[in-house]
Amino acid sequence: MQTNVVYSIAKKEIMDNIRNKWIILVAAMFAILTLVVSYFGSLGTSGWQNLGNTISGMTELGSFLISIVAFMLGYAAIIGEIERGSMSSLLSLSANRFEIVVGKWLGLGAVLCFTIFVGYGFAGILIAINVSNVDILEYLVFIGLTMIFGLVFLTVALFFSTMFSKRSTALGGAIFLWFLFNIILPIVFVGLLATTIDFTQITMETTLKAPDWYFVLNLFNPISVYSTLITITIAPVQSSTGSGFIPNPSWYSSSLLLGVLVSWIIVFFILAVWRFQRKDI
Amino acid sequence: MVTQTVKCPTCKTTMTISGEPGEKIQLACPECHQKGIYRIPGEKTSETLSSQPATIEVSGLTKTYNHVPVVNNVSFRVNKGEIFGFLGPNGAGKTTTIKAMLDLIHADAGAITINGIDVRTQGKEAKKYVGYMPEKVAFYDNLTALQNLCFYAEIKHVSKEECIGLIEEFGLGETGKKRVGKFSKGMVQRLGMARAILGNPPILILDEPSGGLDPRGVVLIRDKILDMKKKGTTIFVSSHILGEIQEICDRVGIINKGVLVAQDSVEGLSKKLNLKPQITVSIDKMSPSIENAVKKLPGVESVLAKGNTLEIICDGAMKAKVILAITDAGGNIQNLQTKEPSLEEVFMRYTEA
Repeated sequence: MQTNVVYSIAKKEIMDNIRNKWIILVAAMFAILTLVVSYFGSLGTSGWQNLGNTISGMTELGSFLISIVAFMLGYAAIIGEIERGSMSSLLSLSANRFEIVVGKWLGLGAVLCFTIFVGYGFAGILIAINVSNVDILEYLVFIGLTMIFGLVFLTVALFFSTMFSKRSTALGGAIFLWFLFNIILPIVFVGLLATTIDFTQITMETTLKAPDWYFVLNLFNPISVYSTLITITIAPVQSSTGSGFIPNPSWYSSSLLLGVLVSWIIVFFILAVWRFQRKDI
Repeated sequence: MVTQTVKCPTCKTTMTISGEPGEKIQLACPECHQKGIYRIPGEKTSETLSSQPATIEVSGLTKTYNHVPVVNNVSFRVNKGEIFGFLGPNGAGKTTTIKAMLDLIHADAGAITINGIDVRTQGKEAKKYVGYMPEKVAFYDNLTALQNLCFYAEIKHVSKEECIGLIEEFGLGETGKKRVGKFSKGMVQRLGMARAILGNPPILILDEPSGGLDPRGVVLIRDKILDMKKKGTTIFVSSHILGEIQEICDRVGIINKGVLVAQDSVEGLSKKLNLKPQITVSIDKMSPSIENAVKKLPGVESVLAKGNTLEIICDGAMKAKVILAITDAGGNIQNLQTKEPSLEEVFMRYTEA
């Protein structure tokens, strides 16, 4: 692998996104929404919320937003260039397909991470000024985990970009996947769980002990993994949300959930390279 | 090597040129600066061709889509320093062949080498020698011409100064901070040519390089191609503009329905098809006896009288006999022109159903 090829492609992706002002727009959107969440975090309350409540709200909002932003960033990365015609010129140079995927992933990943860092970071500074006892390190860990979560969806989008032969189909696939992870899978999993519950025994004070298969299934949804990871890793979130209606099993750990997210990245990255290697341009 | 003296058709200045038989040389008159292309008489023999190193060699190339062969057992070689024209009707398989040559598509069968390097197994190494201009030239719309060119230059290890020089050379110096997305098609096409020749690659593969260009742009690209040839670049060019191909190419290959139906010089293909040149003779006073005298000559295929002009289709070697017959019949020749069979005729014959 030639590092100058990877570096040039990554740099081009960053320049391209700076020039179309995409970075500025998304970073501003993240910052505004974070501030909104931090100020109006809980129902019936107003004013600056504590860090736990803020991160908890940002996780919910972020899982919707960051997944869609990552998809938008990555779905056309390969197929868009093929359709436009610039991929054939790129591949006519002494650049191989693996280097192109790596370069694009790094460039788009840098754009995504930068927007998350700037957007959440800017909001974090304002929160730190207005809220007492903000643990900066915990907030930085939250930002870091959110970046990894964003990279999961970026990598899935990159794979979609190599899988389909039309940009519009790749977009359709990305939208479907967004609905799948954000809406369909949680409903299906909870629905399956509901079939095992005796509702007559449940009161407002009950905490539900869900079977292990429910938690295993949730590992296949990166959004559930991300939100659980934040809950069990970031101490202020843990203390503000408590154990919840369905407590996590003891075998759920930060390292396991982080490992699952990283595995998503690795698996879909390999799939993207594999598919692109076989694609006719 | 043959050395010849030629006269400028405009100011009659004498120039000395040298090259191989059949080679086309771009000339610029030192006096009046008139530009033109001169073909050294004679043809490259098959021995000469096979002894030259093949820069691009394609053998048995086959590519099918949904079990339909788009390119079927195509074989050809492009020799070092020559311009090879690749012709064919729409959908004949030209672009598919070019894409296979660059490993952009995966061929089902066949071997392709560039400078002796197998493209299918060592594509990255082989492509170091190639500059490519695709049929559909595209850039990154949000970047300027210089930013775009510098991106490719970085990968090719070419300096920014060369990019600036090329942008100036192709008349895009004024575009400055203008994004490529706002360029006209002709400007994008010129930038595409600049990208192809970035780093002076020893091999150029051009797919419809003049498409969408105004006449000035066509001349610019054509001159650049000839300029690159002068530097020893091997050029593979696919084009629909047959006149241009005939003018600049040493040899052509014609592909039809995925099959390479012919490859040779235009003259060689004309001979194979038994196409004969047309001699147009202007005579001061036409008479039926002159026309009959020419018609009677063995080897004359047809004679058409138009006013004081005779259009004669015959072997090139018959020219002297035609002149003699006309003068013997009392005709006084004012002007005589020979028109070799055009590539268009050759193309039509090879691609007819």
